[in-house]
Amino acid sequence: MLKLAFYGKGGIGKSTTVSNLASAFAANGLKVMQIGCDPKADSTASLHGGARMRSILDLVRERNNDFTLDEMVREGDGGVICVEAGGPTPGLGCAGRGIITALEKLQEKGAYDVYKPDVVLYDVLGDVVCGGFSMPMRKGYADRVFILTSGETMSIYAAANIAMAVKNFRGRGYASLGGFVLNRRNAPDEDAKAAKLAADFESTVVGALDWSETVQQAEQLGKTVVHAFPESPMAAQYRALADAVLAAAQKGDAPC
Amino acid sequence: MKQTARIISIHAADTSGVCSMLYELGGMVVVHDASGCNSTYSTHDEPRWYRQDSMIYISALTETDAILGNDEKLIDDVAAAAKDLSPRFIALCGAPVPLLAGTDFPAIAAEVESRTGIPAFGLHTSGMHSYLTGASEALEAVVSRFCTDELPRTDAPSANIIGATPLDFSINGTMESIVGWLNKSGFELVSCMAMGSTLDDIRRASAAHVNLVVSSCGIATAELLRKRFGTPWVAGVPIGKSFSGKLASALKTAAETGECALPCAERDASSSGKKLAIPGETIFSGSLAAAIESDLGAPCRVLCPLEAEDKLLASGDIRILDEDAAAKAFAASSGVIADPMYAPVCPPDVPFYRLPHEAFSGRCYRKESLNLIDRPLPWRF
Repeated sequence: MLKLAFYGKGGIGKSTTVSNLASAFAANGLKVMQIGCDPKADSTASLHGGARMRSILDLVRERNNDFTLDEMVREGDGGVICVEAGGPTPGLGCAGRGIITALEKLQEKGAYDVYKPDVVLYDVLGDVVCGGFSMPMRKGYADRVFILTSGETMSIYAAANIAMAVKNFRGRGYASLGGFVLNRRNAPDEDAKAAKLAADFESTVVGALDWSETVQQAEQLGKTVVHAFPESPMAAQYRALADAVLAAAQKGDAPC
Repeated sequence: MKQTARIISIHAADTSGVCSMLYELGGMVVVHDASGCNSTYSTHDEPRWYRQDSMIYISALTETDAILGNDEKLIDDVAAAAKDLSPRFIALCGAPVPLLAGTDFPAIAAEVESRTGIPAFGLHTSGMHSYLTGASEALEAVVSRFCTDELPRTDAPSANIIGATPLDFSINGTMESIVGWLNKSGFELVSCMAMGSTLDDIRRASAAHVNLVVSSCGIATAELLRKRFGTPWVAGVPIGKSFSGKLASALKTAAETGECALPCAERDASSSGKKLAIPGETIFSGSLAAAIESDLGAPCRVLCPLEAEDKLLASGDIRILDEDAAAKAFAASSGVIADPMYAPVCPPDVPFYRLPHEAFSGRCYRKESLNLIDRPLPWRF
C-alpha cells in the first residue's frame, strides 16, 4: 500500500489534481482511496458527480462513535473509495483537531485493512498551519509528501513552508518529500522558479500540468478530466503525472 | 443525567494508570501537562509515593508552549533530565491540552530516543479514558520493547502475574498473598507486572509456563506474550477458597495444554431474581462474584463501569456507563459490594458492603481495604 499526501497553497488545484490522479491510477487497475482533509469536504466531489458527501465529522457530530466504516466512504467513478474528513461548524471549534479525529476514526474502524487500497491519496488543506494538518504526514499515514505549486510568488512561498515542515519532521519518522508538482498559471519564468524551489530542498519537479479549459469543462460535469475527456491532451498530462508520481514515490529511501 | 457523575466519584484516568504501572521499573515517566498536576497522578492514589522513589515528572506545559507547539522545549528538557538520571527507559504521555493540540508523542519519543540513546516510547493518554487504558498501553510498550528474547522455560512450573497495580490491589498484603497462593499451587513466580519486580525480572517473562492476568489492564500484554512466545494466560484473582482452587486448576491446565482460560467469566448471571451487585474492574469483580457464589451461595452480577472486552463479562453481567445506570442496577439488587464512594447512590433498603478500590476513591478508605486472597470471605448474606 502506497500512501501519498498532497499539500500546497489554497486554490492551487490540489483537489482537482488529486482526483484526476485517483482516476488515472484507477484506470490502470489500482485500487485507490482518496481522503479529503479539508473542512470544506469537497475534495472528492468530481469523483461522484459533483455532489457533496457526508463527512466523517458529520457522522461524529450526529452519532458520536455509533457508525460503521461503510457509512464513512462512498464509491466514486472508477471504483475510487472516497472519504471526506470534514470539519467543525465554520468559525467554531478546531479544524486541525478535527482532521486528527477523522483520520483516527478511519484507522480505528479498519479502513486500510478492510478496503486494502493499493494507493491512498491524502488531499490536505492549504498549509501546515497546526499539528492537525501535519497528521497526514505522521508515521502510519503518508509515506511521501508531494507539494503542488504554480510559479506565482505566494504559491512558491507556501510550498517552501510546507517543504520546510517536512524537512523538520524527518527525525520523527514522518513522511519524506516525494517532490513538487507544477500547476502552471502562465506566470513569468514559472518552470525555472519551480525548479529552483525543488533544488533548494534537494528534490525535483516530478511533473507539470498546463492551464486548460478542459479542466473547467470537466468540473462543470462533476467529473474528472481523465473520466470525462479521456482522449484529451489534458487527460494525457494527468496520466503522465500519475506515472511520474508513482515512480517518484517508489524510488529513493524506503518510506518512513 | 447521562454520562455524568454528579454524586459519586469517577475512576482514575489513563495517565494515572501509566504512572502506577511503570512506578517500580526504573524508567522515567514524563506527563506533558501543567505544573502541579503530579499530585493528581502520583500521590492521591499512589501509596508508594512517600516510601519508594520513582522518576515521574510533569513537563510544566504552559499556555504559550501549547499554542506555539514548543515540542522542542519538551524534547530538550527530557533529554537533559535523562542525562542526569540515566533511566532504563523514557515514557512520554499526555493530558487533555496535548490531546487538543494534537501532540504526537510517539514521534517526540523517537526524537528523544535518537538524542539520548535511551529506549523511549510515546503513549496515547489524554485523561479521557480510565486508568486501565493507560496501564495497559504502558505495560504493553515496556514488555514489547524489553521482552524480546525467548528464554527456555524454567524447570519447575512457573508463572508471571500481569496487570498488578495499587490502583486495583491495595498495599495491604494482597499481592504477597497472591504470590504465596501461586507458590502453594505449585508455581514459581518469574515476574509480577508491575509490583515487586524489577525490569530485569520482567525481561525474563518468556521463561514462565503460564501467565496469570489479575486485571483487564494486563490482557493486551498477556496476548503479546502469547503471540510472541506461545505462553497461555488465565484471567482471575484467587479470591475466597473454592474459586482459588478452581483458578489453580485452570493455571495447571493452561500450562499443560497451552490454552487460555477466563475462569472469572465462567459464571451465569442471566437468571431472574435479585443478585448481589459488584461494580468494578472486571477480572477482580468477576473473580469475587465467582468466589461468593461458590463459597457463600449468593448469586452475583458484575456491573462494569470501565473499558472491558465482552469476553471478560459473564452472561447477565451489565455495563454501567454512568451513575444513573449504577443507581438503577443497585436498586434492583439484593445487595451491593462496592467502594464506599458508591454508597450515596445505593437505596437505603439495599444492603451496602464496603470494599475500597483505590482507582475509585484514592487514599480515602485505604485503611479499610481488605485482603480477600485464598481465605474465607468476611461476609454472610
